[in-house]
Order: sequence, then structure tokens, then C-alpha cells
Amino acid sequence: MIEESISDLEIHGQVVEEFGSSTTSRTWYHYLLLAACVLFAAVSVGFVGSIFQKSLPTWLHHPATIITGSGWQSPTGPFGGLAMIVGTLETSLIALVIAVLIGLGTSISIVFFLPRRLRNIVATLVELLAAVPSIVYGLWGFLVLAPWMYKSVDPWLNSWPFAHTLFGDPSQQYGPSLLLAAIVLGIMILPTFVAISREVIAVVPQDLIEASLSLGATRWQVIRKVVLPTSRIGLFGAAFLALARATGETVAVALIAGGVAKVQFHLLDPGTSIASWIATEFGEAQGNEISALMALGVLLMLLSFSLSLVSRWLVSRQRKVMAQV
Amino acid sequence: MSETQATNQQAVIERVPGHSAMQLKDVAVSFNGRVAVRDATFDVAKNRVTSLIGPSGSGKTTLLRALNRLHDLTPGAKVSGQILLEGTDIYRGDVTVTELRTRVGMVFQRPNPFPTMSIYDNVVSGLRFNGIKKKALLDEAAETSLRSAALWDSVETRLKVAASNLSGGEQQRLCIARALAMDPEVLLMDEPTSALDPIATLKIEELMTTLKERVTIVIVTHNMQQAARISDDCAFLLMGEDRAGELIEFDTTEKIFNNPNDPRTLDYTLGRFG
Repeated sequence: MIEESISDLEIHGQVVEEFGSSTTSRTWYHYLLLAACVLFAAVSVGFVGSIFQKSLPTWLHHPATIITGSGWQSPTGPFGGLAMIVGTLETSLIALVIAVLIGLGTSISIVFFLPRRLRNIVATLVELLAAVPSIVYGLWGFLVLAPWMYKSVDPWLNSWPFAHTLFGDPSQQYGPSLLLAAIVLGIMILPTFVAISREVIAVVPQDLIEASLSLGATRWQVIRKVVLPTSRIGLFGAAFLALARATGETVAVALIAGGVAKVQFHLLDPGTSIASWIATEFGEAQGNEISALMALGVLLMLLSFSLSLVSRWLVSRQRKVMAQV
Repeated sequence: MSETQATNQQAVIERVPGHSAMQLKDVAVSFNGRVAVRDATFDVAKNRVTSLIGPSGSGKTTLLRALNRLHDLTPGAKVSGQILLEGTDIYRGDVTVTELRTRVGMVFQRPNPFPTMSIYDNVVSGLRFNGIKKKALLDEAAETSLRSAALWDSVETRLKVAASNLSGGEQQRLCIARALAMDPEVLLMDEPTSALDPIATLKIEELMTTLKERVTIVIVTHNMQQAARISDDCAFLLMGEDRAGELIEFDTTEKIFNNPNDPRTLDYTLGRFG
């Protein structure tokens, strides 16, 4: 037994030594790997740099218009980005609410209530849904959900008290809307949220759950008072990542939001988002408009970067919390 | 009457019905048809400490967790036989499991205070689960149970601090206080000192001997000295040929450690195996 472990150590020693010596005498494949690394860094810098560079005229000459201006006059300008920014925030946040409400219920069921066999089926289904290309969601939203909502749901929503303030003027509506885009976005980011929140919930230590049960808690109380509070940081992380996905989503929104560059607070009226606006406009853009679209791209990139960073930070904090428990 | 006769008689009296907090009759626990522990028949005497000892795999913890129906959670788990709490079968259909667990509390191997709650919130968490909201009641219960767990003096001024700031031993006493706040009749302890250092262990052991005046204790322990030091009655379990744990012997701790009926008990308590 002891002899064995010594020889194990020796083998380890050799391996370590081999690695150590090879870093001093560099071989061709080291340079190859290094080159790949440098190339990657160069591509990233070049990519981000050129986008900034192309957007520079807008930042220099119309920095306020691109953020706070409304109205997009092709091809002369002014190019106001407020409608796209507001549209992105509206659709993403409503999508997030939808995804969190359905997703949290799904994750909790998967972890605590479904029998094991069913649990795996649902979990696999969620992962498959995450892999469906967004154009398919967009197409479904356009061809299936949009007509159905226009015929059945929108009239009902418009019959609510104060529907006018919330949803807008029915006579101006023809199907595509911010709400429709938000619903499809919500369904699209649902798998992302479920995949992460399920894992976050599943690592809540079993003995915390048993401790609360032993105090006479019901299962529902265990979930509400112990499981969710213990995993809340990670759940926020999951929400932020889902939000990042939603803000960058392009094709589906382009198909079903309506593509109208107007600051829109009426949810059933057509609107647009940054990503979908870029996708639909760049083909015919020239000169200043290209720069303005690039500036929108920069804004979107910054938004996605920061959401992803916050999300990663939250998930890693949750890991630390769990390590302490 | 000689002295030994007197103690023997006392042991008998302790175990007549009415003096038992819990009675186990031919209890067996199985998972998906595989028996984990069986043949458990003994009485848990009121206001005494009953220890469950035996080597790994003998089903001590499995048996303990049957006493507050924690196996209810595990799919495929089945408990047979009878477990009576004050004469009532706890697995009977009309017994609500949440109420049962307020009467039979539990302390776990690893100190497990709720990480998102303060010391105070931890202690009163059980009361809150059971719908008690009045601050005066909660305050009183918090102080009483922290005192009972010998923790009040060191945490009195920092009740609102996160429980994770306490040392391991303090956290475990917090978990004991949390269980005591429900004023249970029986307290189940699953190797409560196995994650603690010797000094913290000693404190918990001292605590148990004072606590038994108000609550009946059933403790699972790997540590035979601990069982000998603190328990009054002792159940010895062993893994059978078919890898199922079974009760070998139950008696007063004194008898189990000094003059057991079964030679296997003697071998184990003398440290010849396990």
C-alpha cells in the first residue's frame, strides 16, 4: 500500500518535471499555440476597435441624438436611437418577467416535484429548446402566434379598463407589436433561465432542506423560505444572463415587432429594438447612417457585455456562498 | 433490596408503557425493496438519552430518520412495523407529518443553520413555519431556547448577525436551540458532534445531560465513548449477512458496555471490530 503510493508520487514527479522542462526548451508547437492566442487577441481588438472607429463620426457629431433623439430619417438624418433603446429595454424586460415566472416554476418542479424519469425528459427538452435557431422562433411568432394574438388576445386586452394607456389605439394595430416580440423573446430565453436556475436550485444543500422539514415546514415553505433565499444570488445571475440573450436577439424581433422607429409605450403598437433595427436598416444605409447603426451596435455591445459580466459575477458569488454553507 | 436490584428495577419501570416517549415495534426500513435496517424493537424512555451505536452500514441513521418520517421524501423508501409517539402510530394516515416533526425535532451531523438568516431568525424559524408571528412570543422563545442551548450569553448582543459568523460548535448549539424552540418531546441527534472539535464536543455532551430533563434524546453516534458517557439506554445495531442492518441488542447503556447478552455486542464495545 505504502509502496504503491510512493511510486504514484514518483510518476507525478516525472510528469511535473516534464512539463517544467518543456517550458524552458520551447518547441514548435508552443509557438503555434502562442500564435493562435495572439491571433485571437488581435481579432478581438480589431473587431471591437473597427466597430468603434466606424461609429466615431456619430459619437463626435451627434452624441446626444443617437441616445436621446427620436425619429430616424434615412438617408439624411437625424438618426435618433431612443426608440430602439426603449424598445430593446421594453421587450427584454417583459420577456424576462415571462421567462422568470414560467422558468422558476419549471426549475422548482424539475428539482423537487417531478419523478426522476420525467425530470430528465423535461431537462432534456429544455436544452433542446435552447438549441432551436432563433429564426424558427421568429417564424413561429410571425405565422402562428401573431395571427392568434391579433384575433383572440388583443381584443380581450383592449377591453381592459385603461387599455388605451397601456396597449394603445386598436385602430393603429395590425398584428406585430412590442408585446408580441416580448412574448416570443420570453419563450426564447426561457431555456437559458431554466438551465441555470435549475442548477442553482439543485445545489442547495439537502441538509438545509431536511433541517427546515424537521422544524415542521411544509414543502412550499421549504422552497419559499429556505431554497429560494439561499439560491437568490444565483437566480439573479440566471436572470441577467437571460436578459443579455434577450437584448441581443435580432431575427425574431425583426420579424414580429413591427419595425417602426417610434418611442413606443403602448405595448400592442409596433416598435423595434436595437438589434432588429440594425438588421433591417443596414442594407440600404450609406455614410452617416452606417456610422449611426455602428453606434447603435456599440451601445448594444456595451449592454450585452455588462449584463454578461454582472451575470458571471453573481453566479460566482453564489458558488462562494454555497462553498461556505 | 440491594443496589443492583434497585437499578434493574428502575430500568424496568422506565420502560413500561406510559413512561416511553417512543416505542418501536419490529421496525424495518427499505429502499426500493432493499432492506436497510430491520428488527428494531425497543422503547425510547422518557427524559433519558438513548444512543444508537454500531459500525457503518448498520442502519443507525436510517432508523433515526424513520422516527420523524424524513424518509417520506425519498422515493422508494418504505417503513414497516410500528413507531408510536405517546401511543400513536406516527405513520397512521391521520397523523400530519408537519405536526409530528414539531414534536420530534432533529439535529444533524453537520451544523446547518440557514445561511441567509440571522441568529435570531434561525432560532425562531420553526415557529414562523408554524404560523407564529407575535414578536413577544418569538422573542421569548428565542431567549429561552438559546439559554437552554447554552448560547444566550455569547450571542445576546448580536442576535441580528448572520449565523455563519458563529464557530462550528456555536452553530451546532444554534441548531439545537432552533430545534428546542419548537418545544419538542423528542430530539433526534444524528452524530451531532462528528464535525466538531473535542472542546465543542464536550460542550454539546454536557448540554445533552442537562437537556434530557425537558426533552427525550435519541442520538446516533460513531463514538462509543460518547455513547457510554452520555446515554442511559443503548441500542446496538450490526449489518447482517445480507447487508441489512439489524438490532442486535437493546438495554441500559451500563449493561451494553459492561455485561451484554450478545457476544457480538461485547466484541464491538471492546473495539474488536467496527
